[in-house]
Amino acid sequence: MTDVLLVGAPNSGKSALFNRLTGLKHKVANYPGITIDVGKGCLSSNPQVTLWDFPGTYSLNPVSAEEQVAIASLRSALQDPQDALVAMVLDATRLEKGLTYCLQVARDAAIAGKAFVVFLNMMDLIESDALELDVSGLSAALGVPVYPVSARTGAGMEEAERGIQQAGLGVAPWADTPDALITGTAQQISERFAPAGDLLVRRQARLDQWLLGTVSGALAFVIIMTLFFQAIFTWAAPLMDGVEALVIAMGSSVASVMPEGVVADFVNDAIFGGLGAFLVFVPLVFILTLIIGALEDSGYLARAALICHRPLSVFGLSGKSFVPLLSGVACAIPAIYAARTLSSMQERLLTYVAIPLMPCSARLPVYALLIAILIPNETALGGLIGWQGLVMSGIYFFGITTALTVAALIGRMSHEDRTGQPFILELPAYRLPVARTIVRTALNRAGHFVQKAGSVIFAVTVVVWILGYFPNGGQDLSSSWLASIGRFIEPVFSPLGLDWRYGVAILASFLAREVFVGTLGTIFGIEAADEDPAPLADQITASGLTVASGAALVVFFTIALQCVSTVALLAREAKSARFAVALMAGYLVLAWLAAFGLYQLVGVLLS
Amino acid sequence: MPSLSLWELAVGESRDIVSICSDTADGAVQRLIDIGFREGQRVSCVMQPGFGAPRVYAVGGATYSLDKQTANFVRIAGEAGR
Repeated sequence: MTDVLLVGAPNSGKSALFNRLTGLKHKVANYPGITIDVGKGCLSSNPQVTLWDFPGTYSLNPVSAEEQVAIASLRSALQDPQDALVAMVLDATRLEKGLTYCLQVARDAAIAGKAFVVFLNMMDLIESDALELDVSGLSAALGVPVYPVSARTGAGMEEAERGIQQAGLGVAPWADTPDALITGTAQQISERFAPAGDLLVRRQARLDQWLLGTVSGALAFVIIMTLFFQAIFTWAAPLMDGVEALVIAMGSSVASVMPEGVVADFVNDAIFGGLGAFLVFVPLVFILTLIIGALEDSGYLARAALICHRPLSVFGLSGKSFVPLLSGVACAIPAIYAARTLSSMQERLLTYVAIPLMPCSARLPVYALLIAILIPNETALGGLIGWQGLVMSGIYFFGITTALTVAALIGRMSHEDRTGQPFILELPAYRLPVARTIVRTALNRAGHFVQKAGSVIFAVTVVVWILGYFPNGGQDLSSSWLASIGRFIEPVFSPLGLDWRYGVAILASFLAREVFVGTLGTIFGIEAADEDPAPLADQITASGLTVASGAALVVFFTIALQCVSTVALLAREAKSARFAVALMAGYLVLAWLAAFGLYQLVGVLLS
Repeated sequence: MPSLSLWELAVGESRDIVSICSDTADGAVQRLIDIGFREGQRVSCVMQPGFGAPRVYAVGGATYSLDKQTANFVRIAGEAGR
């Protein structure tokens, strides 16, 4: 067998199993609908075997365009004449949920002549709760091999791996079963073999009484979200300081052994000044992804989505928009993909409108830099609350509020009735997050962030350095080619109290927001060529950036849509380039106007 | 058989499902059937969350949140007012 098609209902642990089998880093979470595209990987123990991870669906009857695509791709794979094994993943704790789909796929696989097996996942929960599940009886009833496994603990995986590679696996005996009988048969099998689910449901309900209650639920939500935003800044600070110290130490030691000249200047200004300034902020992305991963894995995100349903409906959205919006706090790209779980196009478009305004991780380096410049690094309440963290929370709050307000305004303008959208949300079981999985996902995300943004930043840094260094060999930045370009665009940003250096950095940041930090690092690196290396924030503070201009920059970055990848994906997902371009242009104008308004206001208040 | 809407099921109570509204082409009905809201199944109303959030129901060992419009597609055994 060279191909294994992994299928199952949403939240059955299919992607976790895929990762176990392949050692890959597919995004895994305890929230329905995480797998968006078909994933591909090789079996760790035998690279000759390819595994295909299909998006989870509840049946072969699609109810949305995305499910239609997912099911069509599965049907197409089933009809492929090449030999393949279909492996259905069932959640042992919620057996009935996946059984109808299991029998539907087993029948289609049998018609196509494909062998069929079942992975009975989450057996660790069955065992820890001393529940009973007759695996061999279930196997006999389904007429196919059933492997009890736990993707979380790895239990049963070796046997399952051996099982899917053995010769002579047969097709399921359901080829002649009509649709009308499948549901009833699934129900009968479930009634006979499913463990008494009451225990799990009751235990879950006890926690839900707390986390979904009016007072306790609100309190829990506020505490979790406050800790979330505080932690991003507070926990990342020591890591960021460490990376910063490392970059500066490396820069100093490299500079001390290199002969003076263009190459030494390039290494100092572009590599350690530009790229180094960006790398300092990578721990932020790691911590952010780690916390979101822990929230997802625990099962809390679905509850948060439920609590937010009514409040979000005020803005024309629903609870289902919560996860795409929260994903937008990490990055707009997965957030836009996550919006595919919304069944209505209208609601999806409104979510697309809000996502680019969510304070994504690419903005984080910019915010962190500006906060370090504008806000003293002091604490209150005996060190419990840091002012910088508090301001960061405020910026996030402003971004989220702006996102929802703009979505509400656009929703109202569209005059479409959105009250008729049905709401069905599965509440997954609570479970302790698996550190290994969420750390791996966070490392993967941070690595991807460095890889994707780092290459763009490096290229931009080199161009900015060349333009800033020549024609006078770095002697006078103000007469460089870069300064000439900067002065050309200076009239756009001078009303915000920003000189050409910031104009150039903003212009460069349209490739990716993080480029702003790298570009400023290079510019200030060239300017301070003869001085000892110092953190970029100190250099900018010394250059005299005013509070009003700093605040204007924060607001500009909060609203402006400066990510080419996001615009391209929006155009694709919304099936309208006009929508994406209009959003980009609209947010740019809004960003400038809001920044100008704040600059004037702060100027008046401080005078 | 007398029936009422699932939305009328009080928190903490359980009833058997007697039918799923099939006179609509709504995708929600298909989804309800797929996830286990089928004739003869026992369904419980687990809780009414705060903030006017949709109610939580348990069926087939799993829990789902359904809003009023969706819950009204499901008819359960019983009489109004009971």
